Amino acid sequence: MTRDELKEHILKKYDGLLTPLETGVFDLMCEVKPANLTKVARMLYDDEQLKFDFLNNIAGVDTGEQFEVVYSLSSISNNLRLDFKLVLSYDQAVIDSVKDIWTAADWHEREIWELYGIDINNHDNLKRFLLPDDWDQGYPMRKDWDAPDFVRMPEL
Amino acid sequence: MAELRTEEFLVNMGPHHPSTHGVCRLILTMDGEKVVAIEPVIGYLHRAIEKICENRTYPQCTPLMDRFEYVTAMATEHVYALAVEKLAGLEVPERAEYLRVIMVELNRIASHLIFWGVTAMDVGAYTPFLYGLREREDIMDLFEITCGQRLTYNYIRIGGVSKDIPPEFVPKCREFVKMMWSKFSDYEGLLNGNPIFLGRMKDIGVLTPEAAIAYGASGPVLRASGVKYDVRRNDPYSVYDKFDFEIPTQPNGDCYDRFIQRLDEMKESLKIIEQALDNLPEGDIKCKVKPKLKPPEGEVYSRIESARGEMGVYIRSDGTTKPMRVKLRGSSYNHLMLVPEISTDVLIADVVAIFATLDIIMPEVDR
Repeated sequence: MTRDELKEHILKKYDGLLTPLETGVFDLMCEVKPANLTKVARMLYDDEQLKFDFLNNIAGVDTGEQFEVVYSLSSISNNLRLDFKLVLSYDQAVIDSVKDIWTAADWHEREIWELYGIDINNHDNLKRFLLPDDWDQGYPMRKDWDAPDFVRMPEL
Repeated sequence: MAELRTEEFLVNMGPHHPSTHGVCRLILTMDGEKVVAIEPVIGYLHRAIEKICENRTYPQCTPLMDRFEYVTAMATEHVYALAVEKLAGLEVPERAEYLRVIMVELNRIASHLIFWGVTAMDVGAYTPFLYGLREREDIMDLFEITCGQRLTYNYIRIGGVSKDIPPEFVPKCREFVKMMWSKFSDYEGLLNGNPIFLGRMKDIGVLTPEAAIAYGASGPVLRASGVKYDVRRNDPYSVYDKFDFEIPTQPNGDCYDRFIQRLDEMKESLKIIEQALDNLPEGDIKCKVKPKLKPPEGEVYSRIESARGEMGVYIRSDGTTKPMRVKLRGSSYNHLMLVPEISTDVLIADVVAIFATLDIIMPEVDR
């Protein structure tokens, strides 16, 4: 299945759930409403034509205006790649866990919780791990967080 | 006679334990000699590379990538360069792609040689470590005459490579390939049939294909469990679609299979290097890249097959000279998640073997 065929399949079968975006420069990038996350994830996993069984990566992004959580998936059996993202406002930074579908999500979600302060529902293992245990200086990957001795590089 | 009272107890392994290959702490819950549960504690090497990248221009991030995974630093530079090239729409000259493939495959062999030696040392055999480092030294020399560095190369740059190979590189590299082919009979004769070694490795830490996929295991770990999946073949990047090589797999997914898998993969890397040397085209080694590189707005998740498995980088560009977000995905991150899953009901000594055969290195986990 090529990228265009995948897009067609998604437009037909996932109408309203997955919205293809133009920002993905290589693989297909879609948007998912945070409320539909677990439903869409389960559908992508169970769909016989797609079968996205492999979670490559979850990346949190702070754009300066909102949070985004980007999921990268691939299918081992059908050899496909797909990215989708959730857009979250700062005051409603909560997502559902997809750990039940892809076990690999465990630590990726834990990292987003720790470094961005995005809350994860239904995750039983939210403990600090990259930062020191007694860390109390906020969420370091947010754009408004700077280290105490930080010097911003001048724009070239 | 009254029943003896028993209870579980904790054993703290690490952070500075020689078998944890870096700084990783494992909290083992023990029932007598058997491991009941493991909790990995990480973060000792967290250097916030991703945050530092957000304050640097795209070319300035390349040296940081070397520090992300320093055992195969060429692969890390490669995945980052590929991602930025996709974002900025750069066409890399063919000669540069061939040079990249040669360097990455040499680096893969160097990494597998360390794996082979260190794994054997972790289970009590010292000789392979010396043999492995002896051959690795030749690869380091090849890198040194090319870019002047032996560990953090900063060789693969956005748009190509930093400099062309010197004239003596190709004959030296052919000599190395020839020498390396002759070593496998030694390597395989040293340990592969040794009853003590087999006792330590066979049927220990069995990873089923289903669990491997669910946990996001990749590379040699995934293939040792019988799943034939290699990014070089399934999602070809660079010039890997021009080479003829096999994807070896193993049937059982235990420690022994993961050990053999790397030996098999070294041979495939040698085949790729031979073909790349034979077909190395003439031409430029770098395309024109603006000094103030500003990729248009967009995002990409780019992935390659590194020595440890799938290495990926997600880059988000907002149209300025600095990336808005760089997220690094190391395969060791997922493999460390696997350790508690496959090390139940084993001895502490088996945990060492499992940890070694997953080939986890900690800078890739903590970033």
